[in-house]
Amino acid sequence: MEHRIKLSAEKVSKTFRIRGGGGTPDSFLPVLRNVSFDIFEGEIVSIIGESGCGKTTLLRIIQGLIRHDAGDVKVDDKVVVKPGRDRGFVFQQASLLPWRTARANVEFGLELQNIPPAKRREKAQDLLALVGLSHAQEQFPHELSGGMQQRVNLARALAIDPAIMLMDEPFSALDAQTREVLQAELLRIQQEVGKTTIFVTHDLDEAIYLSNRVIVLAAKPGRVKEVIDIPFDHPRPPLPELRGDPRFQELRGRMWELIRSAPAVAA
Amino acid sequence: MTVQSISGELDIGSAKTTETNPVPNIDYEDIEPPKVKKSHLWAVRLASIVFTVGSWEILGRQVDPLFMSYPSAIAAAAVRLTASGELISATYSSLRIVAISFGLATIIGLALGLLIGRYRYVEAAADWLVNALYCTPKVAIVPLVIIWFGLGDSAKIFIVTLLTVFPILINAIAGVKNVPRNLIDVGAAFDATEPEIFRKIILPSALPYMMTGLRLGIGRGLIGMVVAEFYTAINGLGAMIVKYGNQYDTASMFVPILVLMLLGVTLTIALRSLDKYFAPWRYVDD
Ligand SMILES: Nc1ncnc2c1ncn2[C@@H]1O[C@H](COP(=O)(O)OP(=O)(O)OP(=O)(O)O)[C@@H](O)[C@H]1O
Ligand SMILES: [Mg+2]
Repeated sequence: MEHRIKLSAEKVSKTFRIRGGGGTPDSFLPVLRNVSFDIFEGEIVSIIGESGCGKTTLLRIIQGLIRHDAGDVKVDDKVVVKPGRDRGFVFQQASLLPWRTARANVEFGLELQNIPPAKRREKAQDLLALVGLSHAQEQFPHELSGGMQQRVNLARALAIDPAIMLMDEPFSALDAQTREVLQAELLRIQQEVGKTTIFVTHDLDEAIYLSNRVIVLAAKPGRVKEVIDIPFDHPRPPLPELRGDPRFQELRGRMWELIRSAPAVAA
Repeated sequence: MTVQSISGELDIGSAKTTETNPVPNIDYEDIEPPKVKKSHLWAVRLASIVFTVGSWEILGRQVDPLFMSYPSAIAAAAVRLTASGELISATYSSLRIVAISFGLATIIGLALGLLIGRYRYVEAAADWLVNALYCTPKVAIVPLVIIWFGLGDSAKIFIVTLLTVFPILINAIAGVKNVPRNLIDVGAAFDATEPEIFRKIILPSALPYMMTGLRLGIGRGLIGMVVAEFYTAINGLGAMIVKYGNQYDTASMFVPILVLMLLGVTLTIALRSLDKYFAPWRYVDD
């Protein structure tokens, strides 16, 4: 892999203002402080950290959905200020449009680019095939299982052919079996499309299994605690098998320690 | 008070019935009441109808015809009034008013509701007026409207539109305010422009509420029409009721009342099927 920097965060900081109701003054919640890292082209990097440490916030800043207070996010050395077609987003919660079929959901981003209907359709069909949902194209989200919905979500983000995929705990709401199936699928798809991917999770096994590197965030406020290289080659064996590798257990232990031991910094 | 809070207390109650919200995918198997046959249900229903109409016929005949009528007399009156053309022209006249007013109320209610729901400045400009008018019992201004417009169609159209527009408006506002935040985020994440978000996310998401508004609106519209025709008493079904009331012809009075009932039921069913057509994802269980 050529080590060209695709995306970088440079001292990104974000503080939320919490509106005080009923006469109490507003308070300030520092969520991210001086978060810096580089993501290389074509790699999958996971971001882990305990709940509430600012993972979603960080991803939304990268997507341009919310403004940060200080620092820069750069894609190809250009500062990001708003959402763009170079970044595709897979949301944490159910986010399919309930009035659209699976196929129409995948076409959503393509419609916004004014791609003609026939072409949109073809592209959507290709992507649904890629995520293994050819048979469910005309089904509405409520007719799909949680796992199928997340496949559609993935296809929808891939449809606009972004250079970077931002995925916010896409599998966290799924049961263990479905999750492992989708993790393996994601690696297979990644072999095919080779997108630079930032993958937020709090599942350590998932982070190790999917990633080239893992960024561990410390909480309150969120900071980069450490960046860990994952040494396993692609294609990787199934997760249960990889778990048997002593290096896997060692990495897992280390991450666990890092997350737990992160001391809070005085605001 | 904002429009949202008002709508939260009032019409939203009706907008939030189970059929309006997407039904969660719960497996009801274990808590379902005992299974019944559809044909049996219809048999019971039919028996109930026969019993009710039959009792009405028998008991109605015992009462002074000045106060009460009974089905066969009403049927005879209906035939007479239809043959003379009076019923048809009155129904036409009333329907015309309702159609025009409903059309106006739909356009005004939906357009204004969507704007108030989405844009805070429009809301600030309009919410006080909407709330004040919403809380006023609108029939109170009927005499005033007649002074303004006289007894002609324009007075009726004004009154019916006024009564119809509020459920439509309030529900449209609620529809926009209740668009799930994460769906708007999807639009933003895919770099949609404001008009695109409006068209592709807010509008379809608010559609069920808008349909509920229309359904409530048509009911109000019929009430408004009858009230307006009571006052102007020149033509239409309302005027017919007043006329035969004054003549103590109770059987003939029942005829326009039954027509109104039929209209109400038909229009409500029509709007419900329209809803089903436009928002199939809300009818999970079908
Ligand atoms: N719009 C907002 N306004 C105020 N506070 C917010 C906002 N969004 C997030 N927060 C707060 O910022 C902190 C970080 O939230 P964030 O959603 O980024 O956490 P997370 O790491 O993604 O957590 P999880 O693993 O549970 O998804 C939380 O304390 C949250 O309450
Ligand atoms: Mg999160």
